[in-house]
Amino acid sequence: MGTPLDGGSRVPIGCPAKLRRVTRKKVAPDLEVLTGWLSLAKARYAMGAKSVGPLQYASHMEPQVCLHASEAQEGLQKFKVVRAGVHAPEEVGPREAGLRRRKGPTKTPEPESSEAPQDPLNWFGILVPHSLRQAQASFRDGLQLAADIASLQNRIDWGRSQLRGLQEKLKQLEPGAA
Amino acid sequence: MAGRGKLIAVIGDEDTVTGFLLGGIGELNKNRHPNFLVVEKDTTINEIEDTFRSLGSLPGRVVEANPNQRDPPLWDEIDSRQFLNRDDIGIILINQYIAEMVRHALDAHQQSIPAVLEIPSKEHPYDAAKDSILRRARGMFTAEDLR
Repeated sequence: MGTPLDGGSRVPIGCPAKLRRVTRKKVAPDLEVLTGWLSLAKARYAMGAKSVGPLQYASHMEPQVCLHASEAQEGLQKFKVVRAGVHAPEEVGPREAGLRRRKGPTKTPEPESSEAPQDPLNWFGILVPHSLRQAQASFRDGLQLAADIASLQNRIDWGRSQLRGLQEKLKQLEPGAA
Repeated sequence: MAGRGKLIAVIGDEDTVTGFLLGGIGELNKNRHPNFLVVEKDTTINEIEDTFRSLGSLPGRVVEANPNQRDPPLWDEIDSRQFLNRDDIGIILINQYIAEMVRHALDAHQQSIPAVLEIPSKEHPYDAAKDSILRRARGMFTAEDLR
């Protein structure tokens, strides 16, 4: 006769390994954002102390990066960072092969307002130092790591709740077994 | 909003918030409700806690131990700013030294979404022993299990 623990006892076994993975992953952003901070400091040195900070934030912001939560097995949420407003490359060149209109200049269609949100680099001026771009790249990498860690944390929380449930079932069984 | 995905919020020092906003997570909508908070020297713990708000599991309202301490007309404003009250936030990034200031609020947050991630700051490296999530999980295992 099977016990309620059959099949479910595998659930908490993976948790210590996941804990170690989460701890290791949490150290990894240390390196990414450290690189990011150093790059920000370099940019501040190049542009001026007050030129890289909250004073430059835009009054209207739209996120370039969003989080998509997908449901994996057993109802667990898995996070993935997705960049918003990624467009296919524009086709450059004549759209029609051959005929040219001679009656007046062809009205070119006005460029549609871009759906892509504004790059935050633009808040800091037209020509920004390379270090600011490096900072942006480092923090973007950090965001992907953050999504991975959040997924792992969800898994650990789920494992914890499963373990609690199993422990309670075990307690209920014990008086019966005795 | 559902098609767009969830946001990543950040509570941190100036460099951390500037960096992640450069990464593209910032949102400042028409109602002026941001998904970030820059913690400066004069930022109070109440302000950090209000923004984070672990008691915000109640729909649209927050229960306070002593509501008379807060200005009533600001309640609606505060509710909209609280990251836990917002259903469009998937992850909250918070510098660990700031998380220490509002540790009780973090410990009270039991839901999986939004996920709360404690991250290092320039002057305070990450310490796994202080992380709420890891501490909670470690309590389930013995030292032998974690080797």
